[in-house]
Amino acid sequence: MRLVLFQREAGLPNKLVPFATTLLFVLLSLVPWHIPGFAVVTPAFALMAVYHWTIYRVDLLPPITVFAAGLLLDLLNGTPYVGVSALSLLITRAVLLDQRRFFVNRLFPVLWAGFLVTATAVIAFEWALVSVLHGALLGTRPFVFEAVLTVASFPIGSLILARAQRAFLARV
Amino acid sequence: MRERSGAVDRLGPVRAVAQRLAGPFLVVVSMMFIVLGKADVLLFDRLRVAVADAAAPIFHVIAEPVATVAAGIRRAEGVFDLYRENERLREENARLLQWQEVARRLQAENAELRNLTKFSPEGANRAIAAQVIANSGGAFVRNVLINAGTRDGVIRGQAAVTGDGLVGRVAEVGERAARILLLTDLNSRIPVMLDGSRERAVLAGDNSDQPRLLYLPATITPTKGERIVTAGAGGVFPPGLPVGIIASVEGGIVRVEPYAELARIEYVRVVDFGLAGVLPQSAVPLPKAAKGARNADPDAAR
Repeated sequence: MRLVLFQREAGLPNKLVPFATTLLFVLLSLVPWHIPGFAVVTPAFALMAVYHWTIYRVDLLPPITVFAAGLLLDLLNGTPYVGVSALSLLITRAVLLDQRRFFVNRLFPVLWAGFLVTATAVIAFEWALVSVLHGALLGTRPFVFEAVLTVASFPIGSLILARAQRAFLARV
Repeated sequence: MRERSGAVDRLGPVRAVAQRLAGPFLVVVSMMFIVLGKADVLLFDRLRVAVADAAAPIFHVIAEPVATVAAGIRRAEGVFDLYRENERLREENARLLQWQEVARRLQAENAELRNLTKFSPEGANRAIAAQVIANSGGAFVRNVLINAGTRDGVIRGQAAVTGDGLVGRVAEVGERAARILLLTDLNSRIPVMLDGSRERAVLAGDNSDQPRLLYLPATITPTKGERIVTAGAGGVFPPGLPVGIIASVEGGIVRVEPYAELARIEYVRVVDFGLAGVLPQSAVPLPKAAKGARNADPDAAR
């Protein structure tokens, strides 16, 4: 992997697609769907975006983008623990960076299985972190629910991201 | 500009190192934010309000079509059990008609008694209606963002209700958006009372669907199904708003099932009790007079 810093010939707007879709996914995770049970906990869409772009185009997803997305998510979801999502997404990117070769050009089930492990680990980490910050063990149910929901809706998120990648980044 | 293009090659390794360090550096920054957020709450409060205010129009645009889709789903859901729903409503209507009769009688009686005691009523509650434009989504926060803020008269601490009951209170207010901390949030504490015995307690959210009742007097044994209403302590919160019913009493842990369906709130009313309601001008001398009257009574008896 070679980092190209000033690639003049390639369009800059296209290169912003990972950043834009990650932000879009942050907003998407906060949209009220008004479906029973769903609105309380929504899938961690931002995690899907970070997972996808770290595996396929990590060159276009610098840590600062991940940090910004996580921070925006923390500020928008009103948590008193600002920085939790930023931290967990940054760690996700760092850990996946070493494993990405394993996932590139594999069949979707492999990608999905990888996401299952990632999402479980990230949500367990958030549970532990918030429990420590709050000073009491939190109930695990909402976290388990979020993990199941997130993994179950991964195909939709993955499809959107893959489409965006093919449309804007095929030649970039 | 000239300098940079000439220096790309020389600066290459420096940039690579900088990029390599960006990740760990930002991890440290995130951790600092977490610690800072615990220490200086105000800073992030302001930041949150600013971000929510800025994002409100975007959410408003997104929420519109989503609400339409959700309404469509619900309508489709409704078609399937139209018959059963109709039966249920018919039954409920019959029951409510009886209650209406009771309510009318009580209203008349109440008016008469108020007249007798020269009771000055609380200031009429003004309600601010608002649409829910975003929710917290995460597994460890329970709040919603509404599209009403200071310009609509929303004030921090006010109660937010739906037709069913209390939803939560206003935690942060921006110019055009406000955040409602739901009853179920970890940090939600609401003074309530048992409707029957008028015993005070605190309703504390713990991230589960059913918040807990804390600080109930030890002599009180709450029963399942008992109604919980707001106690109105603290001024801006109107007393007597329906909150929920006691869902379970197990090993000293009392859980309350909220009346409002917190998972699918679309609109809320923010109850503006008004400062006049907190300290009614006309009512200020009233407690004194009442106290005097009560004190006078035993004297008279003696």
